[in-house]
Amino acid sequence: MHWRSLRFLFLGLVAPALASPGPSFENTAIVRTVDLGGSVVHVTTTYAIKATKPGAKVYTIALGLEEKEKTSWLEVKVKGQQEPLELEHYPLDSSRNFHLADVKLPKALALNASLNLVLETLQTHATTPYPKEASQKEDQALKYSTDLFVLSPYHTGVQRTKLKALTPRIISHTTPANVQEFILDAPATKQGATVTYGPYNDIPASTNEKFIKAHQQPITAHYFHEQPVLEIADLKRSAEISHWGNNLNIEDNLVLHNAGPSLKGHFSRLEHQSQAFFKRAAPHALPALTLHLPPGISNTYYYDLVGNVSTSHLRVAPAAPKGQRSNRYSVLELRPRYPILGGWNYSFTLGWDAPLSDSAVYDRKTGRYIVEVPILTPVPGAVVNKAELSIVLPEGATDVEFSPPFPALENRLSTHTTYLDSTGRPKLTFEYENLTVMHAQSIFVSYKVPLAAHLTKPFVVSVAFFSVFVLAIVTRRINLTIHKEKTL
Amino acid sequence: MPTAYPLPKNLSPATVANTASLIRIVALALISGAAIASRLFAVINFESIIHEFDPWFNYRATRVLAAKGFYEFWNWFDPTAWYPLGRVVGGTVYPGLMATSGVIYNLLHAINLPVDIRNICVLLAPGFSALTAWATYMFTKEMKDASAGLLAAAFIGIVPGYISRSVAGSYDNEAIAIFLLMFTFYTWIKALKQGSALFGTIAAVTYFYMVAAWGGYAFITNMIPLHALVLILMGRFSSRLYVAYSSWYAIGTLASMQVPFVGFQPVKTSEHMAALGVFGLLQIVAFAQLVRSHISSQQFQRLLVAGVVSIGVLGALAFVLLTYKGWIAPWTGRFYSLWDTGYAKKYIPIIASVSEHQPTAWPSFFMDLQFLIFLFPAGVILCFRELRDEHLFVIIYAAVASYFAGVMVRLMLTLTPVVCVTSAVALSTLLDTFIDPIEPEITDDAQSESGASTTSSVPGTNGAASTAPTATSAAASKKAKKAAPAASSEPGLKLSDVFASSTVKTSRPRGIYGLDTRVMIVFNTTLVLAFFVSHCTWVTSSAYSSPSVVLASTNPDGSQHIIDDFREAYYWLRQNTPEDAVVMSWWDYGYQIAGMADRPTLVDNNTWNNTHIATVGKAMSSSEEVAYPILRKHDVSYILVIFGGLIGYSGDDINKFLWMVRIAQGVWPDEIQEPNYFTPQGEYKVDDSASPAMKNSLMYKMSYYRFAELFGGNPGQDRVRQQQVPKVGPTLDYLDEAFTSENWIVRIYEVKKEDPLGRDLKSANAFAHGKKRKRSKPAPRRRAIV
Repeated sequence: MHWRSLRFLFLGLVAPALASPGPSFENTAIVRTVDLGGSVVHVTTTYAIKATKPGAKVYTIALGLEEKEKTSWLEVKVKGQQEPLELEHYPLDSSRNFHLADVKLPKALALNASLNLVLETLQTHATTPYPKEASQKEDQALKYSTDLFVLSPYHTGVQRTKLKALTPRIISHTTPANVQEFILDAPATKQGATVTYGPYNDIPASTNEKFIKAHQQPITAHYFHEQPVLEIADLKRSAEISHWGNNLNIEDNLVLHNAGPSLKGHFSRLEHQSQAFFKRAAPHALPALTLHLPPGISNTYYYDLVGNVSTSHLRVAPAAPKGQRSNRYSVLELRPRYPILGGWNYSFTLGWDAPLSDSAVYDRKTGRYIVEVPILTPVPGAVVNKAELSIVLPEGATDVEFSPPFPALENRLSTHTTYLDSTGRPKLTFEYENLTVMHAQSIFVSYKVPLAAHLTKPFVVSVAFFSVFVLAIVTRRINLTIHKEKTL
Repeated sequence: MPTAYPLPKNLSPATVANTASLIRIVALALISGAAIASRLFAVINFESIIHEFDPWFNYRATRVLAAKGFYEFWNWFDPTAWYPLGRVVGGTVYPGLMATSGVIYNLLHAINLPVDIRNICVLLAPGFSALTAWATYMFTKEMKDASAGLLAAAFIGIVPGYISRSVAGSYDNEAIAIFLLMFTFYTWIKALKQGSALFGTIAAVTYFYMVAAWGGYAFITNMIPLHALVLILMGRFSSRLYVAYSSWYAIGTLASMQVPFVGFQPVKTSEHMAALGVFGLLQIVAFAQLVRSHISSQQFQRLLVAGVVSIGVLGALAFVLLTYKGWIAPWTGRFYSLWDTGYAKKYIPIIASVSEHQPTAWPSFFMDLQFLIFLFPAGVILCFRELRDEHLFVIIYAAVASYFAGVMVRLMLTLTPVVCVTSAVALSTLLDTFIDPIEPEITDDAQSESGASTTSSVPGTNGAASTAPTATSAAASKKAKKAAPAASSEPGLKLSDVFASSTVKTSRPRGIYGLDTRVMIVFNTTLVLAFFVSHCTWVTSSAYSSPSVVLASTNPDGSQHIIDDFREAYYWLRQNTPEDAVVMSWWDYGYQIAGMADRPTLVDNNTWNNTHIATVGKAMSSSEEVAYPILRKHDVSYILVIFGGLIGYSGDDINKFLWMVRIAQGVWPDEIQEPNYFTPQGEYKVDDSASPAMKNSLMYKMSYYRFAELFGGNPGQDRVRQQQVPKVGPTLDYLDEAFTSENWIVRIYEVKKEDPLGRDLKSANAFAHGKKRKRSKPAPRRRAIV
């Protein structure tokens, strides 16, 4: 992993110098759409770019510093295409108010050629409940703040920002001041569930202190949100691979937290039951979760620190035929022991066994096993604050290699000893922060297991049993009596 | 020799012995399997969970032991129990159970089997029940033979009387104690039979283990001396007895004093004095034997009389003096309650309030032991036939345990093993008699007449019944009637022995003729045993396998519906309250709160401090204004009550409420009076006609707070007490409802902090609800707590 960050560092030092001789692009239009949500906010920014110099191949995008901190996932694509473009971040510089990243365009643009780029980001912990407390009968309102202008090192023809809520119930939004020089009519309009800022015309290159000081300002939307704001404070997933059992066991330990407005007063069961009866459940209470687990799983278990939780339903989808990917999921309706109201926590363990053949292949040429391990099972609308994934490989696995879809904060290799082990199994551990549904990708691990290692386990067990029998045989034949006993 | 059915010929004795040995091993293995399997109903029907109340403490303690090691556990001071007093756990528990699980846990982990400590705790009792079956087998083998032993093992393996305390999840001291009891008795018998100091020492070591594991060790402490005393009084003193008893007592007592909870009790309390006395007596008797072998008998007579009289007088005086001086503690209340069943109710309501301390109802004898209870007397009678030393032991054990089982439901457990042993002896004697293929030879010539007459007058069972009807047969059922006399008609001797040794010993050969009688008896016995098995299975699955933490009901479609309110509420406490929030509840739930919610409690099931419990009782049974200072002084943040009125869960706090009142009354007779909680007609009511004291009590208010509103204007029905609750429910000024579980079984209230403006909480609440304060009678200002 180190070489990659080194390269970042290197490019970070060199790239600004390369980009300096005048802008090679201009933005004809920038449209930013913010899907206001709970703990995850989805921001899509479309850049319509035009090359002002021939052969321009690297486009630079900019994010506000605060925005950069909130952003947990970021991807740039050419509009209409699936493949994400390669992205190189500049080193973080806290003295500046923005963060830059270079996008490598698929091919160099000719002069005046245009291209639409789509930047998708997921922001976590970007909303705050306001008011901070809500009683059981009250609604849940959230506040979201962002910067008015999308920063760009290039000149922008027209720029819009749309804040979209799920319902038309937007309580208030900021009306920006000091933007007369860019606008023709109202600086912000609200229509239904959407608040539109702009269009703002003719914005100069904005990645400089002068512009930011003069025009950049926070805008805030205050809106009702009808789903609970969920956070997974801690997720510990352990995946255990067993070739003998043809089994991939996945066990998640989750600490669920309702990050919505905390409950004012106390929980009244009477209130809760009558709300459920009249089908007007409190928007910040979470009665149940629906999770999508892999197909073909078995032995699913759901328990917490005090034992099994019997209030869940599972519909298992059949496993996909060999060599194919199934797009069906086993659906788990999971009900916590109690409804999770604002500010409440609930921790639980969820695990299942999946056939290893669904996610592992053996490469005869190299003699390696390749196993796909999903990093997380997404909980709808929730952000995972901290995650730790550990992959326990079979005993005796050697030459362990892995390829992660995105870099982990930290990863390490240790030894894990469990049932019937003699030397222990290699265990890979990855640590992450602020994972979202977009991070629900897989790590591919490949390793070799020599035949001798496969046979160690049965051998050790048979030796253990054999020695017990031998011991028994020997003790039966030892006579320790001093006197000859009378025959009984 | 005529046989009733053909026997295989040309079998070498070695083959027979080996086959028998193999069958014994296989049978024991199967019995162990059955014993374990029948205890798993709870795990299969529910889950691998710790049951009831006390096991939750044991489980919690075991987790401390497993996580922090033995020394930490030994010195464990638990500040969260009995808040604010705390509890020295290491010195107030019998650590045997936790140590056992800890050892198993560490052992398994050492060989890379990382079994969860909870599963070890859950499965400990079934595991040890298999060992109990083995110990009972060994014990009964000493009484009669291996076949009786196998029967006894099978009985104890599945008898409900023992299963009731050893199902999977019932992680209590009894789980290992019954094994230790039987094993100690077995080694004691073995030591006595052989005069072996080795077996005496093993008995002492297992006795030590027993002392470390269960308070009921006092039963052994008194049974063995009693046996020894009876042997001496019957003139059966021998050096074997001397060796066995001395080695057991000396080592066992010293070892037992190593358990901190026991400490110096073996030399200081009355319960242990019998063992010491018999030890002393044995020394004297042994010395007397020695003297007698050296001097003439006349001198010895005089010496004996003088010696016995003076030593007896001196010993009694010393005992009285020591008790009087307080060096020996007098009998405890629990001890008295064993002799007078009304004693506890009068003087120690806290003991009487426990259901398992009630006298046994007679149906539970049948429920727990089924046909064994009928065979039991027959087996005891059979013990009299031979009356070896070990038979005396069983007879004494049977008598003592029968009495105790009648006094306390819980002590049924100590009766069960001896019932199994004696029943096995009886049944095996019966089967020996009737399966034995050898028929009595019809003697020719002179004896032909008498032989013929015997034949005619003894047609099978009827003849057997007519030979020796005993007193027991009158009491026993029809089936047992057949069993007992038939068994007793053969004086503990095997027919084969009789006929093998001498063809005609008596003038009338006795025995069973023909195959029909044999088949009939064996078939009947098999039937009885089959019924026994099905009875045990039924009782176990329906009565003894409920974890009581989780309740089961049935959906309309017949599927099982789990009512999980307790864990719901406990888990809510655990996840959503500050870690140091003190939870007050009635003592029954103390261990569960500590175990599942992991929060400090005021009182728990270790009922060592009556005053503290009475304080909780007082808070629960007095009005809000009176209770509030008590709550605040004890830092109570949450109060938890159990309320079954909505779904009809009868074990709730309103039904236990009178015990709270009684216990509080015991300490504050001026403030709490039981009659105030009844209607003038003397009824216990919760409806409109409930007494004012009842309606104002904290318990009543917390149970029924907003309950009537649930019925939306219709009269609310309390389904436990079958009464209509008042339409206008109680209001709370000093408490807030914090959580109520799905079926309203557990209700948790938060105690409000003092009003920031210094007002009385009642008037503050009235102000908040916009009520006008009455000018005429200003609300009293509550004084600040110092």
